Amino acid sequence: MRSITTRAMIALVLGGVLTLGAFIGAFFWAGVPDFGFVRTAGQVDSVRYKGPFEQAIDEARYLANYAGYTVEVEADGESVRGELVSADAESVEIATGSGNVTIDAADFEAATVFGSEYGRPDWGQKIFYFHVPVAEISFVVFAFAAFYAIRFLMTRNRDYDTKNRVSMEVTLVFVGLTMATGILWTKAAWGVWWDWEPRLTTYFILTLLVIAYFVLRNSVEDEERRAVYGAVFSILAFIDVPISFFITRLIPSNHPVIEGGGLEGPMLISFILGQIGMIALGYAIYQLRMGEVQLQERIEQAKTLLER
Amino acid sequence: MTEEHQHTLALEVRDLTRAFGVRKALDGVSLELPVGAFLSIFGPNGAGKTTLVKVLTTLLNPSSGSARVLGRDVVSDAVDLRTHIGLISHNPLLYPDLTAEENLLFFADMYGVEQPHVRVSELLEAVELDHRKLDLTRTFSRGMLQRLSIARALLHRPEVIFLDEPYSGLDPHAMDILDGLIAQIRDSHTFVMISHDLDKGLELCSHALILAKGRVVLYEPREAIDDAAFRQTYRSTVGMGVS
Amino acid sequence: MASASGRQLRAMLRKDIVMELRTKEMIMSMGLYSLLTMVVYFVALSQAGSNFDPRDIAAGLLWLAFIFTSMLGLNRSLVHEKDQGCLEALLLSPVDRPVIFFAKAGGNLIFLLAVEALTLPVFGFLFLQGTHLDWGSIALLPLILIVGSIGMAGVGTLLATMSVNTSGKDFVLAMLFIPLMYPLLLGAVTATGGAIVGGAQGVSVFWTGMGWVVGYDVIMLLASYGLYEFIVGA
Repeated sequence: MRSITTRAMIALVLGGVLTLGAFIGAFFWAGVPDFGFVRTAGQVDSVRYKGPFEQAIDEARYLANYAGYTVEVEADGESVRGELVSADAESVEIATGSGNVTIDAADFEAATVFGSEYGRPDWGQKIFYFHVPVAEISFVVFAFAAFYAIRFLMTRNRDYDTKNRVSMEVTLVFVGLTMATGILWTKAAWGVWWDWEPRLTTYFILTLLVIAYFVLRNSVEDEERRAVYGAVFSILAFIDVPISFFITRLIPSNHPVIEGGGLEGPMLISFILGQIGMIALGYAIYQLRMGEVQLQERIEQAKTLLER
Repeated sequence: MTEEHQHTLALEVRDLTRAFGVRKALDGVSLELPVGAFLSIFGPNGAGKTTLVKVLTTLLNPSSGSARVLGRDVVSDAVDLRTHIGLISHNPLLYPDLTAEENLLFFADMYGVEQPHVRVSELLEAVELDHRKLDLTRTFSRGMLQRLSIARALLHRPEVIFLDEPYSGLDPHAMDILDGLIAQIRDSHTFVMISHDLDKGLELCSHALILAKGRVVLYEPREAIDDAAFRQTYRSTVGMGVS
Repeated sequence: MASASGRQLRAMLRKDIVMELRTKEMIMSMGLYSLLTMVVYFVALSQAGSNFDPRDIAAGLLWLAFIFTSMLGLNRSLVHEKDQGCLEALLLSPVDRPVIFFAKAGGNLIFLLAVEALTLPVFGFLFLQGTHLDWGSIALLPLILIVGSIGMAGVGTLLATMSVNTSGKDFVLAMLFIPLMYPLLLGAVTATGGAIVGGAQGVSVFWTGMGWVVGYDVIMLLASYGLYEFIVGA
């Protein structure tokens, strides 16, 4: 008992200090990380919308949130190309080399939106130092949960079930934090709170799976059956983790991908500090919760023994 | 264990424990039962009676200790053992949307019974259901279901028959029929019965076992049992179970 | 042993089919449910005007109908086994546990395909009349329906075996089933969409989607096969 609490406390302090250090480093020392966080320049994704005017304009307006997007609007047999100034249901205004042009909805035929230079990296990017470690830990703790699930099914030792459950609880905490920070960043960088884009979608599914794990456990009466079902489901659900992790590398996605060499100097140091700190925090939360659960189990054990 | 044991012992349970965490459904149960005996298991709810039968019928694995039925280990020889045991439960274990005959033929297929049609009609006759063999079991009364369920359990000619409160929910007439059927096969089989009915259980048994909280409170052959003392022990354990 | 397993597998499949042909419970409820879904689709699309091409959304709507009707059937097929303790009787017989899994999943697959075969023409009749269809690529549809349904029946059987033992069966099944089905659904909708739109590009999209679904089937069926013994014995 005592050793668990001590270890948890050490991890908590260590994690706190490192994470705080990473934040200070990120905000006052490191630069703003500059990942291709908007639709990547170079491979210009020009999308041609010829649907209803509202829909095309909606898309254009959405994309205009990334600075420097160029649109080409075809209207009345002619086409106008330039930077999007404003757009609403009645008309769209475009800045061309020779002044601003306004096009009425009635004349609208089609609009093409071109990708442009990188968007301006801004302070919103600093959330990277928190969001990425948290997301990574959510995957790692889930992996531990799946590992303990396999151990449980092999041994039928209740301790592994407890470890599996506590790992899933910690996963839920980190998944929640990842979703919260992710949504904030999405709003800052993409101008929307949510986008059904591959990484976000698979991660959303992951969140649902973690919640489903607890729904399943809570609806099973028998203790051992609950443990077996929980273990089996966490193994099945874990299959989504590699999918979610690798999907941005497999199919086109708006979500930034960290590749080696993107980070240097102060940024890299802050990032690594944040990662180590977050691992320590995750471990601390796990151990603290574990201590609590073990205490409960000892009480239960004492009760059972008294009944005899 | 030894050759001799295989022929004389139907049950051979050593220090059998079935636990999850600190909860122990079975806690160090040991007993031996000769072939041809009739064991009645008594005990309050939650005493571990059903768990014991589930372990012996290979539906649950022991956490520690060992159990052998007819010399076959319930874990390592499970598939072989299943062909030598039958279970009659208070639940009929029959498909309501199949006819009596189809139900038996289906289970005959599952056990690989030879000449299934002959065996099935023989059993239907024995349980006096051949006139209803083409009816869906959905339309059967509780007593008829129980009779068919006995036929199902006997299909593959098991040597040990487990009975899990077979009398619960039966009307007196159906009970008589069940008694008659058990009497018919009593001499050629070993029986293990869970019972809440003390009189019935004592009347049939050759060995009696009282379980409480997963432990053996009393295990004696019928001859050694003094009825009054036995009832007293039984009552006090049932009282224990309430706490 | 192999022949015994084969005999048991056939016996269980035959039993499920005989029971279903007698009661028509699953086919009726699933079939009618999918027809009701069509009505809901009509209402949902009634305000969309005629600016959209129904072929673009057909794949999504179809699989939506399939996934919800499949849950209905999965639940029922396991409730049959649970009702009078029949699953226990199966477990008592000398049968390898994976055989039970394959028999139940096989039965579910057959009923699922039957309902899909019924739904598909009705859907086409109600929503795709007057659109240009490339029959060459439409002929690929049964392939994705079968491959997709194998995954649905396999994983669904495993999950339904769990959910019949829970309080709130239907909800628990949905909660477990839909997120786990997501990769399969995405692949299946992609492939189905490709086949409906047709053309060389449609066919290439179809095979990409098929690849996803086949990969999912292999991984998930292996996992379900390995884990079923634990579930059914718990």
